[in-house]
Formats: sequence, structure tokens, C-alpha cells
Amino acid sequence: MSNLKYRLGLIAALVIASVWALFPRTVVERVKRDGAFVYDTVRRVPLKRGLDLQGGMHLSLEVDDSKQAVADKSDALDRALKVVRSRIDQFGVSEPVVQKVGTDRIIVELPGIDDPKRAEDVVKAQAFLQFQITDETGSLDKALSRLDQIVRDKGSAAVATTSTTGDQPVQKGLDLFTKKDSAAPGDTTRRDTAAVPGLNASAGPFSRLLERGSINGEYYVAQSNAPALETYLAMPEIQAALPPGRELLWGSDTLSVGGAPYRTLYVVDARPIITGEYLEDAKPNQSPIEGTIVEFRFNNEGGRRFRSETGKHVQDYMAIVLDDKVMGRPPVIIQAIGARGQITMGQGRSLQEAQDLALVLRAGSLPVPLKVSEVRSIGASLGQDSISKGTTAMVIAVLAVIVIMIGYYRFSGTLAVAALVLYVLFTMAVLAGFNAVLTLPGLAGLVLSVGIAVDANVLIFERIREELDRGKTVRTSIDEGFKHAWSAILDTSVATILTAAVLYQYGTGPVRGFAVTLIAGIAASLFCAVFVTRTFYLVWLSRTRNAQTLSI
Amino acid sequence: MIRIFHNTSYDFIKWWRHAAVATVVFIMLGVGSYVFRGGVNYSIEFTSGTLMQVRFTKPVDDGELRAALDAGGVDGAEIQRFGDATEYTIRAQNRAEGAAVSDSASTSAVATAIRAALDAKYGAGSYTAERTEVVGPRVGAELRTGAAIAMVLASFVTLVYLAFRFEWRFGLAAVISTAHDVLITLAFIKLFHIEVSLVVVGAILTLLGYSGNDTIIIFDRVRENLRKGRKQPLYDTLNESINETLPRSVLTHTTTMAATLALLLFAGEVLRPFAVVMTFGIFVATFSSIYVASPVLLWIERKFPRAVSDKAQVSRQAALAESAKERPARPAPSGAAPRRATTR
Repeated sequence: MSNLKYRLGLIAALVIASVWALFPRTVVERVKRDGAFVYDTVRRVPLKRGLDLQGGMHLSLEVDDSKQAVADKSDALDRALKVVRSRIDQFGVSEPVVQKVGTDRIIVELPGIDDPKRAEDVVKAQAFLQFQITDETGSLDKALSRLDQIVRDKGSAAVATTSTTGDQPVQKGLDLFTKKDSAAPGDTTRRDTAAVPGLNASAGPFSRLLERGSINGEYYVAQSNAPALETYLAMPEIQAALPPGRELLWGSDTLSVGGAPYRTLYVVDARPIITGEYLEDAKPNQSPIEGTIVEFRFNNEGGRRFRSETGKHVQDYMAIVLDDKVMGRPPVIIQAIGARGQITMGQGRSLQEAQDLALVLRAGSLPVPLKVSEVRSIGASLGQDSISKGTTAMVIAVLAVIVIMIGYYRFSGTLAVAALVLYVLFTMAVLAGFNAVLTLPGLAGLVLSVGIAVDANVLIFERIREELDRGKTVRTSIDEGFKHAWSAILDTSVATILTAAVLYQYGTGPVRGFAVTLIAGIAASLFCAVFVTRTFYLVWLSRTRNAQTLSI
Repeated sequence: MIRIFHNTSYDFIKWWRHAAVATVVFIMLGVGSYVFRGGVNYSIEFTSGTLMQVRFTKPVDDGELRAALDAGGVDGAEIQRFGDATEYTIRAQNRAEGAAVSDSASTSAVATAIRAALDAKYGAGSYTAERTEVVGPRVGAELRTGAAIAMVLASFVTLVYLAFRFEWRFGLAAVISTAHDVLITLAFIKLFHIEVSLVVVGAILTLLGYSGNDTIIIFDRVRENLRKGRKQPLYDTLNESINETLPRSVLTHTTTMAATLALLLFAGEVLRPFAVVMTFGIFVATFSSIYVASPVLLWIERKFPRAVSDKAQVSRQAALAESAKERPARPAPSGAAPRRATTR
């Protein structure tokens, strides 16, 4: 009897602990209120929902070594992690996850973010700020004839190779100017002259793509010609023939000239007069004349350098280059500039963009370029939908199992059902205790496990029936039933736990979550089927003295 | 008291040849389909590309949607209705790396292009992007190898555990039976062109455990019956054990099937592939624990006729006698050749 008391006491204690673990509690949390982030007490359900259930965005970032080789990626990522984390913190999402996975990836999870593009841009931006003087000498103009010659020599071959490799955007560009042209394909020179009027309509295939801009070193390129120009610029021969000490950079803006979209291309001095390493602060602002701007401030040393460098370049145009893109139109330097300056983003840009840029500048630049290797974003409504459907399936599964168990095993089935209810409770509590995140596959696993969890009880009950068939008493049959079923239950449980442990060790993200759910489920099922059901039987036996029959 | 399959004595193992033929044919169909109809239908999580699930405010026409995307320059997009008439998934390959540096430098370029195309055709606000997934090629490859390594290792660990708890031959038979289940499920996935997503991988992993359980429970009974020390051929012991565990098998499969059907019918489109694969898998697991695991155990016993258990004392002689005794019960004489090979 006292044994029974301890058993019941243990079960009661576990139930209380589980309920407590699953009870929504109030926590202080960063929440969005009226567009601003504040710390506030909110009620939170402990079992965290994965992004696929609550909506949000998942990014995975890798070192981009396409431009430069990175020797120690793991170390580079550690350093990058800090920058990404500080940016994300400023981004203002409650409970973001920023962590390194393995040696070569950073995972960023942003619950509730619904603008993937924006988040991606903030996380990925290199924030490498440079100030470069635009080319005063017209050096590209001088090189144009030579570039045209190279394209004429190499052009048709290059076009042939790119189109066979299925280079989509380039092909699109070429399609565009073949459509405008009625000349026979293959006749490169004729086709070129008939295309959009360029810098010099009668000039070669390269210079035709450019139109001279309004300031030194500025060129306009029709949007449709940009891919073709990029292909040319990527050729090593062209690279070699470009004016030395100069760089060609795209502008960030798209202009509209005569209704057609144009992009700007700048020729700038390759050596920056100053870089963003001296940057101390940046904040967004809106100016009636220049539109959206980001004001920045250098530290003392940076200010000194900036003043002396700009002093040397009065009357020149200064391109503000962020991640190899010229931001806005290069302003003319009227006099030496000190520690303060601004980046003009142009009219029509939202303040949010300026905010993001300022945020990225403040949080610092990444030590290595990163690229996004994976993006998933799930709308909040879809997540809600998944939860409600998953819950429906769960309820129906539980009901179906209850009907089957009670219908088949009657009284004993009822005990099993009681144990099953505890099983669901315990499993959720264990998951909550381990801070597991409930995902959609996890939910599916949970529903399925309801069907599988009764297996141990079924094994036990079948054994008890066998013992009863042999004419043993009810009490002995129950004892024997549990005893004989035990080895099978133990072996299946251990085998499954071992499998789950391997999956946890070698699996990636979702597979791991699955393994945790599996282990929690098995532990709970083992306890419920063996210990809890046994206790129920003991209670029943102690109340019904000399039980002659068992409803099983 | 309701009883099903109570005190049965079906000769299950008699049918092992039929079962083996059916299994091999099915797996061959899967392999054939793989060879002749091209590779597995991996979801973008495993390959790479962009997927967008879009819900329109009012029903749209498939052809129109396709035309809109083509016009927007989203090349070779695959469109699929998802659930009701207003929901679609749009799948497109990410552009080749290195092409058009400026525009595709952003990973979400294709997603942006899709949005632009939809905005142009249907107007902004006439749809919501419920889900966007963009996966690079490396992530997919890692997921694939990770899952494969995990499966092989899990099988190995199971083998070692069963060898320790039972005997190596039980472990080997259980692992072969589980491998059979996974292979046959893969063939099913291939034949019915089910998209292999992470959810489906989850189903296969669940099956790995489920099928193992089923086999272990029968083997546990075999072990117990062998310990009773009755002089009885293993063939009969296996049949007896399967019959004894039959009520349990039927009931557990029923409850599991009930849960799976609940998922299939109520859990929505995203989990449907999981439920479909599991439904098939439950049948296969039942089938294999009876028709694969036991015959394989019997076969191993013939190949290496040592005692299955000390008490059972199934000697080489007894094994030979057993196979001789079994002969008349065989359904078809066509199986003569392999039998000679195994009994020699």
C-alpha cells in the first residue's frame, strides 16, 4: 500500500511539474509597439514555435570566397558573427537567433519578419565605405577605340560561348538587341551599328553601349545594355585594356532618360581618399532638397585625413562608394570637408532604407564578404494555418486511438488512454524543458507518436490476455504480463533511442529536432505505459479485493 | 472481450518466395524508373532554386499565370496548384552563378522577379506570398549526405545493439528487413513521383524506427520461444512467434494508421507527402517484419547452422533435417535451385 502511495505521489508530482513547465508565464521581452521596440512584460507559452509555425524568416550565410580566397573560414565567420549579431539586434526583432552552425555557416532566424529582401540586405551588406574621386582626365574615352577593337575581335566568340552555357541574363540582353535589329544574325558589326544610339553611333560595339554623362567620369548605360556591358567588362582582355589606376563602378540609382531606364557608370580613381574605418556614427535624415540622406561623422583622425584629402580635390567630384556601388550622384567638393558628411540616397527613397544603411554603417563592416545560401520566409497566416490544421489532426488522432483502445480493451483500454493523455502532457513538458522548438515536422511526429505510443500498452495487454488464457489469476496475470512484455518494450525503446541519438549527432537542423522529439516521446511512452498503467492496475486491484475477472 | 487473430496458426513463412518476388519486382520497378525516367524529384531544399507559395485574393487561370511569369522573365518556372484554386506554388531555378553580377548578386533576385511579374499582371495587393524559399546548391547537397550518413549509421548502431542483446543473426536480419523497408519506400516515392522534401526524409526516418520496432517485437518472441528449449525447427518457432504477436501487430498498426490518416486528411498540404509516405510505410513495415525479417533469419540459420540459442540446440543436422521436412510445404518447385545452394 505504501508502495502504491509513492507511485501515485511520483505521478502526481510529475503531472504538476509538467503543467507548471507548460503553463504560460509572463516574461520581460523586447516587443514592437507603435513601430518602436520596447521592453515589456508579455505572456509567453514555453513551447517555442518554429518559424514554419509562427511565420518569419530564416537565413543561412556563408563566406563568399568568389572574389578573394579566405584562409580560415571558421575564424572569419566567428568575427563576422559578431557584426551580424549587432546588426540584427539593432534591427529590432524579438528573439532573433544568430548562431554559427558547423564551421562554415551562420544561421539567422527572424521571427515575424515579413520583408525578406530588406532583412537579407541588412545582414549581407558589407558596409565597406570608400570615398573615391571621379576620373577627371577622360581616360576611358581615350581607351574606347581600343576596347571596341577587342570586342570586335573577341565579341562574337564570347557571345557564342555565353549563350551555350545558358547564361540567362546575358542572353536576355542579347535578345533585346537582336529584336531591335532586322539584320541577319551572325553579322556582328552590322547589328551593332543598328542598335540603340550610343556614345558614338558609328563607333564600335563597346562604346555604343555608353553615353557620356553630365559630370566628369560619368556615363549612362541603357538598362537593356547593362548585362551585355558587364559581360564585356568581365573579359580579361578588356580588363587589361582599361585605363590603369581607375575603376569602373555602377551607380546605385536608375535614371529615367526620355522614358527609358538608364543606369549610371562611374570611372573613379582606384585609390580611395578615405575608407569607412574611421566612421564613428551614422544616422538617417530627410532633406527637402536632396531627399533621403544618411549623415555620418568620422572620428578625429578620420576627420583630419578627410579634411586634408578633400582640400586637395576642390572642384572635383567625390563618389561615395558603398560595397562597390556609387551612392547617389557624386557631389562636387566646394571646400575641404571635416569630420561630418552625408550620403545622399536620392529622392523617392524611403526613410527605412536610410535607416538600414545607417544601421549597417554603425554596426561596422563584415570582416569577410558573406553570401546568402538559403532563405526561407513563411507568412504568419500560413504558420497559423499549419498550427490549426496540425492541432485538428492531433485531436482526431487522439480521439481515434481512444476509441480503438477503449473499444478493444474496455476497462484496461481506459487505463491506457489515461496513460496516453499523460504521455502527451509529459512529452510536451520534456520538449519545453529542453527548450525544443516545435516545428511542423515535429508536430507531425507528435501526432504520429500518439498512434505508436500505445504499442507498449498493447504488448502488455496482449501478454496479460495470454496469461489469463492459461488460467492464471488476475493479479498474477497482470504481474506476468508486465514482466514478459518488458524485454520487448525495452529493446524496441533502446533501439529507437540509439537511432535517434545517431540522427541527433549527424543530422542537420530539422532532422535534429525530429530526433529530440523522438527521444522525448520514447522516454514518456516508456514511463506511461509501464509505470503509470501498472500503478493504475495496482490502484484497481487494491480497491477490488479478490478480483476474479479483468476487463481487458 | 473482443479478440482478433486469437490463437492463429497461419504458415506465414511458406509465402516468403512470393513475398521476395513481389519485393524485388517493386524495387526493380523503382530502380527502372530511376534509370529510364530520370532522377529523383527532389524539392528545392535538396537541389537549389526558388519556391514561392502565393495566395491570390481571387481564383486565377493557370495559363495566364504562366504567361505572366514568362513575360516577367522568370525562366522555366514550374507552376502547381496547391490546395484550392487561389493558391499556387511557383518554382524556378536560381540563375547560374556568375551571370549578370549586379542583379543576381542578391539571393532573392528570382523571388523579386516573380513578385514583379505578378504585380505587373495582377496588381500589387491581389496576392500574398505565403512562403518563400531560396536554397543554394551547397546546402542541399549537405542535407542529402547528412541524411544518408545518419541512416547508415543508425542501421549500424541497431545492428550492434541487437547483436549484443540477441545474437548477431537477429541483428543482421532486423537490419536487412529495415533496409528493405527503406528501399521499397524509396521505390514507392520514385514510382509515384512524390517530391522528396525534408518532411519526406522525416517520414523515412520515422519508418526506420517503426519498422525496427516491429521486427524486434517478433524476434523477442522468437528468443523467448527458443529459450523454452522445445525441440522444434526454427521454421516452426518463427511461424509460432509471428502468430502469437499477430494481435499486437494488428492493433498497433491500426492505431498508428489512425494517426497517419488523421494527418493525411486534416493536416493540410504541407504534411501530405509525409502522411502518404507513412501510410505506405506502415504496410511495408508490417509486411517486412513477417515476410522479410523471419525468412532472412531462417536463411542465415541455414547458411551458418549453429545454435540460435544455447538452449534450442539447433544443430547443423537439425537445420538440414528441417529444410528437408519443409520441402513438401513449398508452393512451387521452381525454387529448387536456390534451395540447393543454401542447404549444401
